[in-house]
Amino acid sequence: MTVEIKWPWQYNFPPFFTIQPNLETRKKQLEAWKTLILNYFKQTNQYILDLSDISNLELFNNSSISRSLNRDDVILILDFLTRSENAEAIDKNKNRWYIYWHSLREWAHIIYSWAQKTNRTNSVLTFYEIRSTPNEEFTELNEEILSKALQLLESQEKAEIILLQDTCGVKIF
Amino acid sequence: MGIFFSKRKKISRITDHDKTILELKIQRDNLKKYQLRIEAILENDRNLAKRLLTEGKKDRAKLLLRKKRFQEQLLEQTDGQLENLEKLTQDLEFAQIEIKVVEGLKIGNIALKKINDTLNIQNIEQILEETREGVEKQNEINDLISGVLNDNDEQAIELELSQLIDQNSEILELPEIPNEEPATDQLKKEIKEKTKKSILVEV
Repeated sequence: MTVEIKWPWQYNFPPFFTIQPNLETRKKQLEAWKTLILNYFKQTNQYILDLSDISNLELFNNSSISRSLNRDDVILILDFLTRSENAEAIDKNKNRWYIYWHSLREWAHIIYSWAQKTNRTNSVLTFYEIRSTPNEEFTELNEEILSKALQLLESQEKAEIILLQDTCGVKIF
Repeated sequence: MGIFFSKRKKISRITDHDKTILELKIQRDNLKKYQLRIEAILENDRNLAKRLLTEGKKDRAKLLLRKKRFQEQLLEQTDGQLENLEKLTQDLEFAQIEIKVVEGLKIGNIALKKINDTLNIQNIEQILEETREGVEKQNEINDLISGVLNDNDEQAIELELSQLIDQNSEILELPEIPNEEPATDQLKKEIKEKTKKSILVEV
């Protein structure tokens, strides 16, 4: 990925990489991390964070001020993101995480309104077809996340997922 | 308690038709993926051939281009197949719409029939018949009323009418307008005296 990331001022501020003991300060710090992480994932169009990978990730390592975030702190921040429905641990060991720069509810809404706007309701769509729609926010959306968002729509009775030879399709109503 | 735990039974809104369309679309997606793969290979081969040429390995470059040509043909074939698949999908979807149109026509037809049932010809004939009877009755009544008076009565009525007209013209006969000038005061006195005298004379 060669996307130019606009780092916020905090990124070059050494204390940003240490979780602050003062609760008020910590809250602000966590909010800033949240914005940074979500923006980073959105701009690089990524959906999954693997914690075994964090030492290679520029996001958590600022070599110019030689600061980096350790694994426990990253988990702490991700737990904070989980509370606002912006992250979810995939496994029990909290090794892999979904990063939802749109919450699942937002994704579901985005897809549903797209289907309505482009009159795709009441017809069958494949997941691949949705993901390969050009110039939409959900272009190249992670298939698992797409599936979760569509399941959400299904629970609201706005869609029904069809499974056919281990490939998924969906009918949006 | 069973009610609370029993899952609400949902009626699937997916028809066999939808499944068929999905199957076609999956095949289409597979073809598209295949095309993307071949395109990537072609791009790769092109670059490789270029490099081989700069290195002077003309024979290998030619071989590579032959392979590339073959894959390009494959790509063209898949294009044709893709078109077929998409056409079939569209036909299927269109057929579904046609079914809905026919259903709509059916519903409209039934509604029209219902309206026509209430408006059947017998009813209309009956209504028209009744109207005609009513008109005839009215005419009869009219005839009856005017039929009470005979010719003599008519003559009497004519007579009365002409008498009334004569009376009216009598009332209209007014005295003539005088031609003379009205009398002056002097004249009036003279006249008065004259009349007095004449009265006296008479007494």
